[in-house]
Amino acid sequence: MTRATQSPPVTRRLGRGIGWRPEIDGAIRRADGLGFVEVVAETIDPRHPPTGVRAALGRGLVVIPHGISLSLGGGEPPDRRRLRHLARVADRLDAPLVSEHIAFVRAGGREAGHLLPVPRTHEALDILTENVQTAQRALAVPLALEHVAALVEWPGAEMDEATFVSELIDRTSALLLLDLSNLYANAHNHGYDAADALVGFPLDRIAYVHVGGGVWRDGTYHDTHSHPVVPGVLSLVEELYAITDAPGVLLERDDDFPAEEELIAELAAIAAAAGRGDRRRANRDSA
Amino acid sequence: MGSRGRLRRDPPPVRVPPRVRAVYAARQADLLDALMCGDAYPAGFDLARAEAAGHSLRRKRARAIRHAWPALATALGRDFQVRVDAFLSVHPSSAGGLADGLDFAQWLGQASDREPHSHRPVDPVVTDNVRIEITLARARLHRLFVGVRRLDDPRRLIVVFRFPWTRPLVYCLALGGMR
Repeated sequence: MTRATQSPPVTRRLGRGIGWRPEIDGAIRRADGLGFVEVVAETIDPRHPPTGVRAALGRGLVVIPHGISLSLGGGEPPDRRRLRHLARVADRLDAPLVSEHIAFVRAGGREAGHLLPVPRTHEALDILTENVQTAQRALAVPLALEHVAALVEWPGAEMDEATFVSELIDRTSALLLLDLSNLYANAHNHGYDAADALVGFPLDRIAYVHVGGGVWRDGTYHDTHSHPVVPGVLSLVEELYAITDAPGVLLERDDDFPAEEELIAELAAIAAAAGRGDRRRANRDSA
Repeated sequence: MGSRGRLRRDPPPVRVPPRVRAVYAARQADLLDALMCGDAYPAGFDLARAEAAGHSLRRKRARAIRHAWPALATALGRDFQVRVDAFLSVHPSSAGGLADGLDFAQWLGQASDREPHSHRPVDPVVTDNVRIEITLARARLHRLFVGVRRLDDPRRLIVVFRFPWTRPLVYCLALGGMR
């Protein structure tokens, strides 16, 4: 498949980032070369952000609130109280944007505590579009949308994932939070080529990129965020940067936190993969 | 996708009829219940994939409970996984590891009460460390909280306060005397 260099991304330069978690606050404070961190918005009290998050702001890092509970793909409109909280966190952290998921987390009054996929149908697109537009009206900063890893798929899909995400981004003017680990997981678990699928996403709308670890169990890849980043995901980082200069790339680690050196080595491996992609893109552009 | 490269300031607003949303939400609720409880998957889904997804989801919930409730998990030992699986199969809504663990501890107590005395498992909730964990969990789940617990070994009272502007504050009073 031909991969032409795409137009520059649409948001500010973020550089290298990491998901801020209390357990790795010390490592983050000591890490060199970071441009941004991401915080789980629901864990932040806008009146009293954690000292580690305030320290990141003090160092000049961009802090991006990442929502996990809006359930933008749910049948019910997003809850106004949750939207207000997200807006207040963004305001308190002076965030240039916020991010959420293309997923549902509750239905019928019950909470999954997990990001569940939506059907890839035109009906679901309509509901998502209305929910995202409701969220955008409540937020003072741009919203980036992340596609999720899903072991289970709804029957009756009317389009592939990249087309579904592209349609949603196009209809809402939202930004894209491209998760290369989710792409890797879905491609392997549902039998398609991740690098081919990558070019179908709206890469010129990328706000930033997620990279997380995972593990193989019984022939299925699980996007756990509690294991090291696998080589196949690093290859996707390189592929992406060979196509476009994404504004930022961020490592997500949520559990079984490794030693600080290991975390720093993972950041370095991601940066190296992005660098290899950069050089391929530069060579192609100069040819 | 010709408009990808430009920002449309005012995308046309979408209004989905409530009836359409209700049907869509009901289908999501059916899937959510099946994944959370591990049975009755809706028609049309790949059963093996759905079971893998449900298993993964319940494993994640169990891990969150274990993480938030180390004393309870330690008290249950090898029984933890079996009993937390039984709890999750009848509790299809998650409120996070801390709140789920509190429900789990209460469910364990009720399950223990339902057993004939001769078959009653050791109630992990009676250990001092789990009593402390339960009281602290209640304090963390409420913005305003006062709780008192009597502990056995050594005999003492712990008093836990939580105000909207603080973390839980814990005080310990020795009671003295022998058990």
